[in-house]
Amino acid sequence: MYGEFKLEMPQQLDEALALIAEDPAEVLSGGTNLMIELRARKLRPEQVVSLDALSELRGIEVDGNRITLGARTTISDILRCDDMAEFGPSLLDAANLFAGQMVRNMGTVGGNIACSSPAADLVPPLMSLDAEITLVSSKGTRKVALCDYYLSYKKDVRAPSEMITSVSWKKLAKNSSNSFYKLARRIGDAITVTGVAVTLTMDGDRCTTARIALGAVAPTVFRATNAEKILEGQILTDDLITTAAQQAKAQSSPISDVRASAEYRLHTVGKLTHRLLTQARDKLV
Amino acid sequence: MSTIVNLDDSVPNVNYRQVGKPLPRTDAAGKVFGKTPYAGDYQMPGMLHMRVVRADIASAELTHLDVEKARALAGVVEIITAADLPDRMAATDIPGQTGQKRMDTDQQVLVRKRVKYFGEPIALIAAETPDIANRAAELVAFTLKPIPGVYDPIEAMKPGAPIVQGKDNVVATHKIKKGDAAAGLAAADIVIENTYKTPFQEHAFLEPEVGLAWIDENEVINIRVCTQVIEHFRAIADAVGVPHNKVRIRGALVGGGFGGKEDVTVEIYLALMAKRTLRPVRLEYTREDSLVGHGKRHPFTLTYKTGLTKDGKICGLDVQIIADSGAYVFLSPYVLLYGAVNAPGPYKVENLNVFAQAVATNNMFTSAFRGFGGMQSCAAYEQQMDECAKALGMDRIEFRRLNYLNTGDEISTGFVPPSAIWTEKCVDLAWKNLGGELALKKDGPIKIGRGVAAYQQSYGRLTFLHDTSEAWVGVEIDGTVIVRSGVTDIGAGQVSALGQIAVEILGVSLEDVIIYNSDSAVTPLAGTTTATRALYMTGNATKMAAEAVRKRLVARAAKSFGVEPDVVDLGGSRAFVIDNPETSMEFIDLVKLCASDGIHRSELVNFKAPFSDYLDPETGQGQAHPDYVYGAHAIEVSVDTDTGEVRVLRSVAVHDIGQCINRAAVEGQIEGGTQNGQGFALSEEMLYEEGKLVTPSFSEYLMPTSMDMPRVEISLLESRSGLGPFGAKGIGEPAISPVAPAIANAIADAIGVRVFEMPITPERVVNALKGAVGQM
Ligand SMILES: Cc1cc2nc3c(=O)[nH]c(=O)nc-3n(C[C@H](O)[C@H](O)[C@H](O)COP(=O)(O)OP(=O)(O)OC[C@H]3O[C@@H](n4cnc5c(N)ncnc54)[C@H](O)[C@@H]3O)c2cc1C
Repeated sequence: MYGEFKLEMPQQLDEALALIAEDPAEVLSGGTNLMIELRARKLRPEQVVSLDALSELRGIEVDGNRITLGARTTISDILRCDDMAEFGPSLLDAANLFAGQMVRNMGTVGGNIACSSPAADLVPPLMSLDAEITLVSSKGTRKVALCDYYLSYKKDVRAPSEMITSVSWKKLAKNSSNSFYKLARRIGDAITVTGVAVTLTMDGDRCTTARIALGAVAPTVFRATNAEKILEGQILTDDLITTAAQQAKAQSSPISDVRASAEYRLHTVGKLTHRLLTQARDKLV
Repeated sequence: MSTIVNLDDSVPNVNYRQVGKPLPRTDAAGKVFGKTPYAGDYQMPGMLHMRVVRADIASAELTHLDVEKARALAGVVEIITAADLPDRMAATDIPGQTGQKRMDTDQQVLVRKRVKYFGEPIALIAAETPDIANRAAELVAFTLKPIPGVYDPIEAMKPGAPIVQGKDNVVATHKIKKGDAAAGLAAADIVIENTYKTPFQEHAFLEPEVGLAWIDENEVINIRVCTQVIEHFRAIADAVGVPHNKVRIRGALVGGGFGGKEDVTVEIYLALMAKRTLRPVRLEYTREDSLVGHGKRHPFTLTYKTGLTKDGKICGLDVQIIADSGAYVFLSPYVLLYGAVNAPGPYKVENLNVFAQAVATNNMFTSAFRGFGGMQSCAAYEQQMDECAKALGMDRIEFRRLNYLNTGDEISTGFVPPSAIWTEKCVDLAWKNLGGELALKKDGPIKIGRGVAAYQQSYGRLTFLHDTSEAWVGVEIDGTVIVRSGVTDIGAGQVSALGQIAVEILGVSLEDVIIYNSDSAVTPLAGTTTATRALYMTGNATKMAAEAVRKRLVARAAKSFGVEPDVVDLGGSRAFVIDNPETSMEFIDLVKLCASDGIHRSELVNFKAPFSDYLDPETGQGQAHPDYVYGAHAIEVSVDTDTGEVRVLRSVAVHDIGQCINRAAVEGQIEGGTQNGQGFALSEEMLYEEGKLVTPSFSEYLMPTSMDMPRVEISLLESRSGLGPFGAKGIGEPAISPVAPAIANAIADAIGVRVFEMPITPERVVNALKGAVGQM
């Protein structure tokens, strides 16, 4: 397996960008997805570019109102960050139920976003926080809203010559609630069957902003914008929440696989959206 | 730490010096410090690396096979196909000591023409490196022409179904008849009928199959391998075509077996390749190989029709069992027999009819797995007991109480187990420890429920197999002790227990003993580590051998002390007069005396289990097993009625293990069995689509993790009535049996409806709840 490709270990970001600009390559971050695909020979790259030496890509920074996670920040780093419960409660929820300890120590935020899996657990929370990612190539830098990043199943807007260097979001507004529910076939180390992240911001009993990001119920993680629209600007009655949950369900297009049927995913995405919205409202009002 | 509860005053309060204590096992330090070599750790200079090429369609004809490209790859040394083995077959039947074998159960070693299951081996490759062997595997060209297969045992029994085995796919039928079930059911006030289903389960041992084979200077094929059964050397020799004494199995400590290393795994491939290449060869399965490379637990469909009187007595029971044996027979007839014998569970059923069939399909073959058919029946009968109590409007514990088997009662086969039947004590204590029925059910989407299950599970092999076990115990001149026995240690402490038994009898301590085990040529054959038999069989052999040595030592000490032998005891590494401990000598001095007197300081014992004839084929009456274990498990769950998620909140085990040998090891078995049973109940299922495995990794096949399990609260009862050493029974298999139905009963208690099919996945819970709403 190891002899079949060239392994590059750039010491500088520029060097890494130059390598991926020239030849097709797979970027290796924590390797918790990539190694599995290499071992199964689903991928047979000629070049693998390891980000291991690029320590500047790892870390959690707070700059005024903005929180930035370097792409190589690990799941364990998120769990070790004392302020994460304030910065991104939903992200903490996701990190707490992410894989097992070994994978949490290796797996990174950048890898989770870049693998473009509909079941990537950090993505619904980040989307519910209106996160934005930074894509860098040897030609320059651009920022993309996470909710615009994914195109279709395992397809995204990233060019082969680009790398994700960070993801960032604005601190939660006052009077906000943010949470994530991971539904899986068991608690520890399981792939998500239905993932729901919700952010509500209230002004009195009126909802000013609603974010609903859904995982594993469509080809990509996505925002249930129809549901969000129903809530924004309104007083959140039980009926309204029920209607929003139905909308979230209507916008979902899950598949059936060995983990669960499409019907079950639809059933639970409705129930969980309803539950998370109700809990958020009850906490704030 | 568990509590030991002494419930029976009639049992003398024996004090052992070694037995019953939670001692660090003899194998613990080596494992903890990473010094213990497992089979996969062995290497030899010049060894080749093997790889098995497998069929990727479950039912097909091999129309074309070309290995020339693979053979041409630099570094490939040999490729074996069926063409190289014109008359070689492999036994799938009970291996072992007896030489008995059923007709027509052999299996082709490699696919000749007909592929019967997904993953059936087609070619064996040996190369200079694992990498080359892998690349060669990709170069083996073969064509499989699909043939209509059958993937459901009920379909397989229909006329015109594709034939996988025999004339009609039925590979075994067992009947048990007692009293008049039809009359009992006709006379009943209520009849409750339900069908329960259980899944294919995977053993998922930590250590995938691995072995190393080489040919020694005597032309003996040596195989270092992880196995539960070193006695397979005979079947391996037969398959390879050499005399039995030309195959030697050298076991190693095994990284988990659970029945999955009870059949031959890699041994025949290794032996064939070593013989062909005359070089050492190593074969290590990847996890993917392992999942398609060994048999699974039989899925059972069990239909229970229970006749009840108004006052809560079972007056008739009819049980129909269908087991999926997969593409080859393997141990299906025996697994099915355990299912049939245990079908009524630990309850008195005077009017009983059991009809059980194992049916061949093109699914993965099924064979031994902890609980061996008995636990599948338990999954059904204990759910059925709750359903009966519910229909009668009775308390489920009190309903059980009216129907328990008690000590001295006949079981389904008319046999009276010789030991105590303490089901009632076990259930009462488990239920009490859990807190009994919940007074209040919670509002909101998350419901709490409780359940309990009792069981009957045998220890020791089927008595018509005429089981025996050998052990040798000797004392060195410096007072140290050696035990030799072929027993394999599959992680449960089988070997350490023998040491504890020997030193208890000889009055020395566990540090003084070394145990040699698991070598088919130089350690006396102990029989298999299966069927919860190792402690019972080899423990007895070891105890008897140690006692024989002790008797001679004590006689010599008595002579020195000038007393009768019956007043001399051995303990604390001394021999002494019981009433006058001042009169004593060091054990080591006693041994030296014996040595200079030429007194024989070792003994080889062959322990025989009770032998019986086969059960009556029409009525199933007779003796099936030496004896049975009884106990209970109680569970509290929460169920999220929105998502169907189940959390096990509390898990309470109570078993009458007869007598603990090593308490820590007993607890380890119960904790492991609980995890294994919880997975069976909630999340573990090997899924096949047209025979093809669609859960090929631990990403799809889900065992409970540490986050999914509560602490297991264990109480041990010691009736000291078992047939094992010091009155021990066994715990390896019993530990799993009651867990799944206790969970199922707790879920049904929480949500008011039952999911009749395991695993009880969140989706099945949601569907059951939807169905219940639909009916209202
Ligand atoms: C046992 C196990 C359990 C798991 N459990 C979970 C779970 O509970 N939840 C979950 O969401 N995931 C889970 N995963 C999947 C995986 O661990 C996560 O997706 C993880 O975040 C991937 O990060 P990584 O750094 O290991 O990615 P890698 O494997 O290094 O990379 C993944 C992909 O992203 C690309 N990539 C990586 N970094 C960058 C970058 N900076 N810029 C551009 N492309 C990049 C790689 O080229 C590759 O294609 C699990 C995996 C395993 C093996």
